[in-house]
Amino acid sequence: MENEELTPIIQELQRVLGDKIDEEQLAVELNKYLNEYHVNIDAAKRGILRKYGDSDTPTFVTGNSLVKKIAELTGTEQNVDITAKVVFADTKEITAKGLPKTIVSGILGDETGTASFTIWEPGTIALAKGSVYIFRNCYCKTWNDKVQINIGSRGRVELADGVRIDLPERQITASPTEIKIGNIKEGIGSVTVTGKVISVESREITARGEQKTVYSGLIADDTGKIQFSAWSDFGIKEGESLCIKNAYIRSWKGIPQLNLGDRCEVSRVDEITDVVDTTTNKKTIEEITRIGGGLDITLDGLVVDVSQGSGIIRRCPQCNRSMLNGACTTHGMVEGVMDLRLKLVIDDGTGAMGTIVNRADTEKLTGVTLQAAQGLAAVKGEAVVGREITSKILMKRVTVTGNVMSDDYGPRMIVNSASIKEMDLEEEATKLLEEVEASI
Amino acid sequence: MNARETAWRVFATELNSTTLEIKATEEKMPSYVVTPLGAKINRVLIAGVMTEKENIGSDEEPLWRARIQDVSGNFYINVGRFQPEACTAIADIEVPSFVAAVGKVRAYTGDDGRTRVSVRPENIVPITEDVRKEWILETAKSTWKRLTGTKRVLGMGDATKEDLVKSGMSETEAFGITYALDNYGQMPDSSLYLKTVQAALRMILPDRDIDLGLPEDLSDSPDEFEMPEEGNGSSGNNAAQLEDMILNLLEELDVDGKGAPREELERRAEAEGISSIELEEVSNTLMDKGLVYEPNLRYLKRI
Repeated sequence: MENEELTPIIQELQRVLGDKIDEEQLAVELNKYLNEYHVNIDAAKRGILRKYGDSDTPTFVTGNSLVKKIAELTGTEQNVDITAKVVFADTKEITAKGLPKTIVSGILGDETGTASFTIWEPGTIALAKGSVYIFRNCYCKTWNDKVQINIGSRGRVELADGVRIDLPERQITASPTEIKIGNIKEGIGSVTVTGKVISVESREITARGEQKTVYSGLIADDTGKIQFSAWSDFGIKEGESLCIKNAYIRSWKGIPQLNLGDRCEVSRVDEITDVVDTTTNKKTIEEITRIGGGLDITLDGLVVDVSQGSGIIRRCPQCNRSMLNGACTTHGMVEGVMDLRLKLVIDDGTGAMGTIVNRADTEKLTGVTLQAAQGLAAVKGEAVVGREITSKILMKRVTVTGNVMSDDYGPRMIVNSASIKEMDLEEEATKLLEEVEASI
Repeated sequence: MNARETAWRVFATELNSTTLEIKATEEKMPSYVVTPLGAKINRVLIAGVMTEKENIGSDEEPLWRARIQDVSGNFYINVGRFQPEACTAIADIEVPSFVAAVGKVRAYTGDDGRTRVSVRPENIVPITEDVRKEWILETAKSTWKRLTGTKRVLGMGDATKEDLVKSGMSETEAFGITYALDNYGQMPDSSLYLKTVQAALRMILPDRDIDLGLPEDLSDSPDEFEMPEEGNGSSGNNAAQLEDMILNLLEELDVDGKGAPREELERRAEAEGISSIELEEVSNTLMDKGLVYEPNLRYLKRI
């Protein structure tokens, strides 16, 4: 390999190694790797970095890092360099593997788009909002179909002096789709909906380091209801009928929510009287599976199975999560707090769904109180409690209401209220009979 | 998606007429049976009277076989050590008693070439008579839905699954019905399922004297169903007249040589005072006589 071809590689290595090795020596080393031992370039670079690299900052990486624009990121990059402007950044305290940890996260942007980022080992880096940096050796992942840029222990952040990036005006996607609330699902972009405000409340939050008032509540039309969040004050009042233009849909754990951002327009319209019964939002499991999730959904079905983890459980006193074998996955061995719950599989003939039922509703459905369950457990063991409450609920017809989200195992509901469903056999049978008679 | 399979509500008549299987070709892929009415079943919810049970295994390793009777037929169930909950439960259930069970279906074809479908309950529990009736009602509704769905598809000519979904059918229904029609090679015996629905409604509404005008079972009135001999009496004439009318209609409706579309045929027959059930019987007779055939399931053609 000729010397001029080596120049960019030498420059790249020098950037990493700084003054640990001079250019001449580097060229000799590189020549040895490439021309004497005939190893490939990647292996040569790795070897030299390993040999001369600073052990405190293990900067060597596998393979070449790519240089990409944000819009080009696919979320699978293992090693990529990105030059971007910090749209905003925030320092956060998190708990990772049980230890407190400081990370920096926020949003980066370039001419092509924006993406969220996290610096996992920020050290003393202080990012200035609006400045441009080169983020080296990043890796990307996707979450919720969006690319996330991660700067891990081998990544580096350098100020890109003199580089100017103008972020594009936020792209305005083709005119927002006018849509019925019942048809809203994840990933449909910006929408226009007309509905009646069922409830609204304001709360103070700290978003991206700024104090903000968010107005949120429920809005409904004749097909469904949805939770909304307004990021500025549109003066929304309960009972008003509104046309909301250019709102965007964000999903939280599979539940779509309507967001009223800066570009949103709100206008008052004639009173909408035809609104779904907002006290119920009844769906079949097949419908829920198709939409993916939703808020405050009610369904009827039969308890076809009672899953493991039903009955007496122990919760971590710190995080309230259920413990496994006497230990909390986050807080280790702790003295658990006893609780009662049910994990039911409910099937309505159109589909099956997992549900988690809290203590109050478990007691209501089974007639077994936590106290009684503890008493029984003391005498006969907790396994017997599980069998006892299973026998009380299996094959029973129930009505449950709660929030539904989906994962690979299908939809799951966190139940807010549950009751045994009574069926009016005679009435329903008569209805079917009339239908059959009418059509033969 | 590894979503849990739906527990289908089906009567024994529908499950036991099932001969179609979609076998798993990959690991972790579930197997299904597809009923003549297009239910693509991996799991069922059944209920009825457990009329007999027998442990054909040993005390240490029980293998229970039992029959559960619904309104018109029997479900055959097997419970072994791979269904621990059901295995413990079934040992304690008295015979006869009302039970409900959820389990996977399994089809096997015997030496005689007949396919039988059995159920392996994951859970089986004693229930009250009311719960049993609730199951019957729910199952009658779901059977009726498949029956009307099948009828609708037959009336839609060569509609594909996509057309059906567009017309408002669920993906599962549309797939099941088209798959059943394409693979059974004959139309489902709608009077069998109607009779089952009738039996279900009679059980729930005993005071209503329900009569859907269906021919009663052979076993109920065997004499009426002797095959009429050629040109024998007025009923024979009537049948012959009907056959002629249908044959004429077939000729008239066969505009493009493909045969007469069922939907059109049904409509015209009805205008002539021939009910869809009569039409079906007459077409079956004509087919038996070799006078007509089905170029495909949605057409009938004169030979």
